Amino acid sequence: MAGPALSRSPQDESLYIIRGLTKVYGEGPTAVHALRGIDLELPRSAMVVLLGASGSGKSTFLNIVGGLDEATDGEVFFEGQELTAFGPAELTEYRRNSVSFVFQFYNLVASLTARENVSLITEIADDPMTPEEALALVGLEKRIDHFPSQLSGGEQQRVAIARAIAKRPKVMFCDEPTGALDSQTGVIVLDALDQVNRELGTTTLLITHNVVIADMADRLLRFADGELVEDRDNPHRVAPSELRW
Amino acid sequence: MVRLPAWLGALDRKLLRDIWRLRSQAFAIALVIAAGIGMVVMSFGMIRSLEATRDAYYDRYRFADIFASARRFSESLVNDVQSLDGVSIAEGRLTSNGTLDIPGIAEPITTRIHSLPRVGGMPRVNALVLRSGRLPNPVRPDEVLASEKFADAARIGLGDTIEVLLYGKKQRLRVVGTALSPEYVYAIGPGQIFPDNRRFGVLWMGEEHLAAALNSSNAYNEVLIRLEHGAVAPEVVRRVDNLLERYGGRGAAPRSDQISDRFLENELSQLGQMTAILPPIFLGVAAFLINMVLSRLVESEREIIGLLTAFGYRNRAIMWHYAKLALVLSLPGLVLGLILGSWMGRGLAGLYQEFFVFPFLTYRAGSDVFLISCLITITVVLIGAAQTVRRIGRLKAAEAMRPPVPPNYSGGIARLIGKIRKLDEPTRIILRGLVRRPLRSMLGSFGVAAALGLYVASAGSMDNVGMMTDLLFHQANRADISVSFAEPRDERVLFELERLPGVMRVEPVCYIAATLSAGHRSRSESLTGMKRDSDLNRLVDIDDGLVQPPVKGLMLSTILAKQLAVAPGDRVEVNITEGRRPHLTLPVRSILKSPVGNPAYVDFASLGPLMRETPLASGAYLSVDPDQADALYRKLKAMPIIAGFSQRAAALNGIDETVGETMGIVTLFNTAFSALIVFGVVYNNARISLAERARDLVSLRVLGYQRSEVSYILLGELALIVIASLPLGALFGYYLSQYLASSMSGDLFVMPFALSTATIAFAILLVLMTAAVSSLFVSSRLNRLDLVSVLKTRE
Repeated sequence: MAGPALSRSPQDESLYIIRGLTKVYGEGPTAVHALRGIDLELPRSAMVVLLGASGSGKSTFLNIVGGLDEATDGEVFFEGQELTAFGPAELTEYRRNSVSFVFQFYNLVASLTARENVSLITEIADDPMTPEEALALVGLEKRIDHFPSQLSGGEQQRVAIARAIAKRPKVMFCDEPTGALDSQTGVIVLDALDQVNRELGTTTLLITHNVVIADMADRLLRFADGELVEDRDNPHRVAPSELRW
Repeated sequence: MVRLPAWLGALDRKLLRDIWRLRSQAFAIALVIAAGIGMVVMSFGMIRSLEATRDAYYDRYRFADIFASARRFSESLVNDVQSLDGVSIAEGRLTSNGTLDIPGIAEPITTRIHSLPRVGGMPRVNALVLRSGRLPNPVRPDEVLASEKFADAARIGLGDTIEVLLYGKKQRLRVVGTALSPEYVYAIGPGQIFPDNRRFGVLWMGEEHLAAALNSSNAYNEVLIRLEHGAVAPEVVRRVDNLLERYGGRGAAPRSDQISDRFLENELSQLGQMTAILPPIFLGVAAFLINMVLSRLVESEREIIGLLTAFGYRNRAIMWHYAKLALVLSLPGLVLGLILGSWMGRGLAGLYQEFFVFPFLTYRAGSDVFLISCLITITVVLIGAAQTVRRIGRLKAAEAMRPPVPPNYSGGIARLIGKIRKLDEPTRIILRGLVRRPLRSMLGSFGVAAALGLYVASAGSMDNVGMMTDLLFHQANRADISVSFAEPRDERVLFELERLPGVMRVEPVCYIAATLSAGHRSRSESLTGMKRDSDLNRLVDIDDGLVQPPVKGLMLSTILAKQLAVAPGDRVEVNITEGRRPHLTLPVRSILKSPVGNPAYVDFASLGPLMRETPLASGAYLSVDPDQADALYRKLKAMPIIAGFSQRAAALNGIDETVGETMGIVTLFNTAFSALIVFGVVYNNARISLAERARDLVSLRVLGYQRSEVSYILLGELALIVIASLPLGALFGYYLSQYLASSMSGDLFVMPFALSTATIAFAILLVLMTAAVSSLFVSSRLNRLDLVSVLKTRE
């Protein structure tokens, strides 16, 4: 991966270093400031929950850090590499090798079975798990040959999680992964994410509207009006199964 | 956004904005409809214009209903014909062939000279359209009219002098005017099938002077007849034949046997057949495209439809909304097609004037043609929209508003694809996409195949004409020059020809006027006597290649055999209408699939005994040393016996110029149209795949797939559709080409079917290139898709 590198120092143990991250949509009087200079460091293997109302900037933040969108100003360093200086091809490589996504609406390919949806990723990854392993991790080993049309919403989302973890990413981005699910199913999905985070040490950034979910995280980031208004650690992480909403 | 007028209802506003959104697909549909409608307008309009022009021309200039010729007869016989029941006008005239010597043209030029009546100078039957100058002055023996196209092509101006060799005598004639005649709408000289205005011309001169030149005073050799309304032509023909029998009659013929009229009629019927085949292909493809676009639109607007139903819109109103959308979608294509068709029609009328000479030919489509085009378009659109619109009617509000469940891919074949372990997942996506909508995939392939076939068929007709030329001018006629004699001569004339400068070989040919009949069927046809083992003029069968004339008996062309309903082994009555006029009964020995004309062949050697006189030659084929050609032409121009002359190279040239050019233009149009169809089908397929797969594809991009890998999924499906279409299209093109060849064949010529693999290969290349270009368009759209926004929206 090209891009200017920071000089290595002990504090670089952080996975992400973010400086003055700013995103403005449009120009002049109609310009919308989605992010107004975010400064942040994120350590490896953490479970981070991003909270905030609609339009608070949390999704924009996730999109830029996830390599889907470009910043207007500021810098994002990933493992010492300046992500904000990457071109489209390097961003593709970044998404391909280092990070993973779970979406609110699952985004499974309807014409592929659960196993094949996971293979979609394992085929292009360097050191993936087998699709079977990944699906077993989310408890779907019995539904492996089912098509999305034959799976419930929660099951589809767990396939999506299996698909995300199968390449052993360093980071997993989850944008409202339980947004389309009822609470019972939501808990099962969160359980899968929690398990992946604990067992594989995958850094997980999870966007949610649901404050309760923050209790399962190591750290909580709250966004409002494009700014980071709250950043606190949660020393007493609870299991998803204990969450109620 | 465009501001729409306030009176427009909400649904209609939606409709207009939908169309704007679908504009690039609408554009592709418009082009395909335009091509189809354009062809309808062009060919229907052309048929109308040609028919109307012909009818007006024939009527105003009193084109003869019956033509009769004999060796020689007097004025009183014309009066006898005039007094026959059903005859409105009978007019006698003299006609002779000759050769012209024109300054600046080396070779002799074949001419046909008709007499003009003594009184008034203007024929009452086959009246002339005087285009420039004046009629010849009856007291000036040297004044003539020339056919306009010939005068133009040979650069003969008013007042110019030309030398004509007529009945053995050289005469100097002055051209005082140019004219057209309904008799020469399609003006071809003896032995030609395409007009060559530089080498064949018609002259008209005063009756007395022509009679003097032909030593034929107070006599005629042709009578032209106009019939009264309701007269029975065959009956009059029979009576005229009886009257002329004693005067060496060569058989009277109705107008439908007149050569110019036959070619014109043949052209009209070909045009009609083309109209019946090609536009339906375009319009079928258009219906398919509309079906595709509309069904995709409705699929993506399920919730809106549910909402409208929930708000109390009637099903009928919603269905009408989408039907209207399809109609509006097709409107630009219709308008474009009407304009395009009128434009092409005018162009075609211009092309026709190369071949068919009318005093006026204006292409006029007429409001009924436009109306028919509108009706056709509406029908096509409604057929295309029907299935989708019916589905809307069945959609329940609650069902429509429920978020769509993932489409079900768990069918048998999809499972089977899962079993193939070697496949990668993107390929699996492609294959399952294809089998999930087999009908759509198939129709897509059919659409591309139709375009491919269309191109193959149209370019294939060039192959066919090429083969025809090859058969006629390389395999059959290998003589550099062919001449016809003013009157039949014995074989001594051949020695005379052999002694001319540059002549390397001479072979005789003999044409004998005859009536052939079998049972109640009968045809006036010339019997052609050919030498066996002839080298310069050979008999070529389209299927079997070189053949020999039968030792005894007749060889008939397929056309003539069909007209007489005879087969080898049957006997045919042959009434020779010249010389001693013997009545013979000859067996049919073989059938010749000959490219041109209605010939009946006999062995030259058998002619003497049959005719009960020494065999005579009516013409000869010459092979010539090109270096001495000019010297030869000078000699030929001075030989009284030579009445007709044609040069193989010139004929070939003429065909290349006129036919090649015309076919070239038509093929160019068809190539463009085929490319339009391929583009329309492939582009629409790709756009719809893109719309349906956008989420999948963008998800894959987010998950780290590269652009090329994602494009593979999108374009792979298209590639398979296109590839599947290739054998299908080639096959379709093969049969379409064959059909077109057979539909072009009439009783004038048989078009050989000679589709070349190069044509098919080029057609395939054309399809692949067009597909590649439309793929580029779509993949550039794919690259522009916004990763973030697609993920945020539920489908």
